Order: sequence, then structure tokens, then C-alpha cells
Amino acid sequence: MIEVKDLTLTYPSGKGIFDVSFTVRQGEIMGYLGPNGAGKTTTIRALMGFMYPDRGTASINGLDCWSKATEIQRFLGYIPGEIAFPDGMSGDEFLKLMHDMRGTKDTKLQNRLLEMFELDPKGKIKRFSKGMKQKLGIVAAFMHDPQVLVLDEPTSGLDPLMQNRFVDLVLSEKQRGKTILMSSHIFEEVEKTCDNVLIIKEGRIVVHSDVQTLKASQRKGYVIRTKEAGAMVQALQAAGFEAGIVTEDAVEVFIIAQDADRFIKTISGFTIMDLDVKSQTLEEVFMQFYSREGER
Amino acid sequence: MMSFALFKATLKKNWLLLFIFFGVLFMYAAVIISMFNPDDIAQLISMLDAVPEDMLKAFGLTTAITNMTTYLASWLYGLLMTSLPMVYSIILANRLVAKAVDNGSMAYLLSTPNSRAKIIITQGLYALLSLAILSAALFGTGVAMCEAMFPGLLDIYAYLKLNVTTMLANIAVMMTAFFFSCLFNETRLSLGFGSGVPIAFLLMTMLGNTSDQVKILKDLSIYGWYDPVKVVEGSNVLGLDLVYTGIIAVLFIAGVLIFKRKRLPL
Repeated sequence: MIEVKDLTLTYPSGKGIFDVSFTVRQGEIMGYLGPNGAGKTTTIRALMGFMYPDRGTASINGLDCWSKATEIQRFLGYIPGEIAFPDGMSGDEFLKLMHDMRGTKDTKLQNRLLEMFELDPKGKIKRFSKGMKQKLGIVAAFMHDPQVLVLDEPTSGLDPLMQNRFVDLVLSEKQRGKTILMSSHIFEEVEKTCDNVLIIKEGRIVVHSDVQTLKASQRKGYVIRTKEAGAMVQALQAAGFEAGIVTEDAVEVFIIAQDADRFIKTISGFTIMDLDVKSQTLEEVFMQFYSREGER
Repeated sequence: MMSFALFKATLKKNWLLLFIFFGVLFMYAAVIISMFNPDDIAQLISMLDAVPEDMLKAFGLTTAITNMTTYLASWLYGLLMTSLPMVYSIILANRLVAKAVDNGSMAYLLSTPNSRAKIIITQGLYALLSLAILSAALFGTGVAMCEAMFPGLLDIYAYLKLNVTTMLANIAVMMTAFFFSCLFNETRLSLGFGSGVPIAFLLMTMLGNTSDQVKILKDLSIYGWYDPVKVVEGSNVLGLDLVYTGIIAVLFIAGVLIFKRKRLPL
């Protein structure tokens, strides 16, 4: 179990995190989201015992993250946000060093993970691609079968196939009762794995919600091409939708999932040449969510 | 107290650096020993007549060479046996801690159940032992070369005494650089102070040697507390050896304590 209470950790620049509180129960996967520089990594630094907080406490399985950092590492797996390996090492040597420093010997799980991610750890890490380094970091974090995992952007640099393998891995670990805190930028990943989600902005937790609620309120954007753009916008706005004209023959409209039926019926009388989903980044989705939460 | 796994990895990464410095110093030692001419020391000294005396003093060269041991104390231990190990120390000390913090790889060492203190003690012991091995190897090969080329001319006990004191001075400098490596999170600062302070000590010793008016510079320098020639001629250095040992211990402990307590930007 990860418990963070009123955690405040500020840098000389005045940035940092302020009064952050949350709990990740055993067997729960918590997604940790927010724009760059919002404080995700700072929170993780406190959890890893790299930095002591100004105020408040962070503990993992009842052990204080600063004073008991060494003990915590026995059952913790960690993927750094910006992975840097000791220089001059090969992948094998690195994994061996991790085993030796942890005092673990069993390489069964390591080999299974290497196979799962199709990684050959031979050769100098320096020559590895970004994706290979990330895979090596994943293997190093999971290979000692830790009870608790702290993952900072664990799939950055992985291709979609490997991202899916990672989702499978995380879900199977959850089945086995692992406690996981995961920061991420990829919506699908969070949607598929996390039970609950924290959103941090400018050092403060602004949303603490379960993923279902978040999904239900996710606003989708569509671009509709039609010759009657002006009339369509009027009809949509009359029905209470947020709509506007993009170009002469294109209409942009935002709806939430429960309004899908009403939306289709509203535009059913028009001649539609094309319908496109307007792609949104994870940040846009969450920030919309955040701003609506704020209005309530 | 220390992590053998990490020690092994550190050794594997850094033995070549040690070997290169050993090779260079060994070569200097071989050349200087073979240049010794027991029958005509005067001839050797006359070679130096063209060089200004202050310059000779700055490089720790004395003109009062009377035998093999004094000759080596002056020519080899006057500057070479401190300046080259200093360069080694600057490079190694920065690599062992600050570089790993700066590039982020320290995060991996700390994500294992080894305390910060244990990791720093392991790295510090490597720094210390590698210099001890360098000194021992140079002492051993130096004695062997002297005995092979000029049997019986070297006062081995006096030479050992000089080697021990020089080694301790060098380790004290290593620990100075190591301390800065533990103190700073950025290579830029660690290298700046870790090289700046030792280089200042070396220059102060060289300047202080040239004239009595600036002798104070030598007294303030960690290198300036002994005169290699006087050490082999019999001056007592036991007290000084203890002082160096104390400095080494204080800097090592301070480095560990600071590293243990600071925030690491990993």
C-alpha cells in the first residue's frame, strides 16, 4: 500500500508539489497524470527516497519513504522517467548487477520478461535503441517480482505492440495483488489498466477519480463535412451541443458518450459527405475533464 | 558496510584508467632509474646548470644529490609521483559519484536494497584501494628495477617510508576530490572544485619551493608538508602520516554523511 499524506516538496525555484495526498491500496493500479512539470516525477522522487519532503509523509507498506528507503527497495520495482543506465555496460551485465545488488539469483522471471518483450540484452546498452532501453528498464523493474511498483512513463519509446504487451503484464501483476502507481501519457494504457486516476496540475492534485467516471465524461470531437454547414451548426446548437464551423463545408462538434444517440438523431436530416473523429491528446481529454470539475 | 557486487562493477569499469596511470608512471620511473649514474653524479648535476635554480626548486629537484635514494626522492617524488596520481584522482573521484548522479544512473543503484552510505563507502573504498595498489605496484617495480640495474644502492627502508607518505598525501587529495563528488549533483561543479583545489595545492607547493618569501604557500598546501629528500634522509614522518590519515578519514566520512542526507535530483 502506498500512502501519501499532505506531502509538500518544494525546489529553490518555488516549484514542487503541495499538500499532495492519496492512497494506493494493495491490488490497485493508480494512474498518475498531468502535464509536463506538474509534479509527477517529484512525487515519485519522494516515494523512492531520493528527496525528503518539506512537510507531510510518504510511506510504502507502512515504511517511511525517506528513512526506510533501503528496506522498501526489497519489495519495490521502479522504472525511472528518464532511464539512464551505468555507462559502459552491456544489457546482460546490467541485469546481473541488479540481481547481485539485490541479492536475488533466480533468473526465471527475467528470462520470461526478456522473451515477452522480445529483447536480446547482449551488446552495449549505449548502442540500444530508445525502445530497447525502455524494455531493459521494464525487465529490471519486474524481474525480482516486487509487491509494489512505481512506474514513471513506463511505455515511452515502445511501439504499440509492445505497449499492449506491457498492458498485459501490468494486468497480470494486478491479478497477483500488486500495488502499482503509474504515470502515463497514453490514454488507452490508463483506460485499460488503471482503477483510479490522479491528475496533478502545478503541484496540486486537481482530480481524484475512478477511470469509469472519467471515461463516461470524456468528450469526443467530430468533424462533419456537409454542404449545409450553417444550418447544421444552428440545429446542433439548438439541441444544446457545442458546435462551430471550421471551414466552409466542415462542422466541428463535441459530445459526451451519453449524448451519442441524440447527436445522431439531430444530424440525421442532413446530407453528410464525411464524418471524422477529431483526435485528442490525453492532456486535452483530462484538461477538459479538469475544467468541468472546476465549474461544478 | 560495502557492496561487493558494486565494487566488482566499479573495478571492471575503472581498472583500465588505473592501468594507464600505472603504465605512464612506471615508464617515467624506468627512465629516471636507468639515467642514474653512480660514478658521476656531478655530471648529471652539471646538465642542470643551464636551468634557473628557482625553476628546479619548483619541480622539486634538488642539486644536493648524493645517492640513489635521494636521487629518486628528488627526481621522481618531487613532482611526478604526486601530479600524475592527482590527475587520476580528479578523473576517478568525479566518475564514482557525481557523474552517476548527473547522468541519472545512480537511481538504479539506489533502487536496490543498498543504503546510500553503503554505496558511497563502496565507491570511496575503490578510490582509496586503487591508489594504494598504484603506490604498492610502483614501489615494488621501482625497487626491482633499482636492484636489477644498481644492486644494493637503494635504501629500501627509506624508500618505503617515502612511498607511504606520498601515498597518504595522494589519497588525501583523492578524498578531497571524492568529497566534492559527493557534495555536488552536477559534474560541472564536482569537476571544477575536485580539480581546482588539488591543482591549487600543487601550484602552491611549486611556488613555495622557489623562495622562502612565499614559503607560506607551501605550508598551506597538502603536498607541501614534507620534503621527499628530507624524508629519505631520515626525518620523522610518522606524525605527518597520521595527519594525512586523519584528513582522509574526515573527508571520507563527511562525503558519506553529506551524500546520505541530501536531495538527489534523480
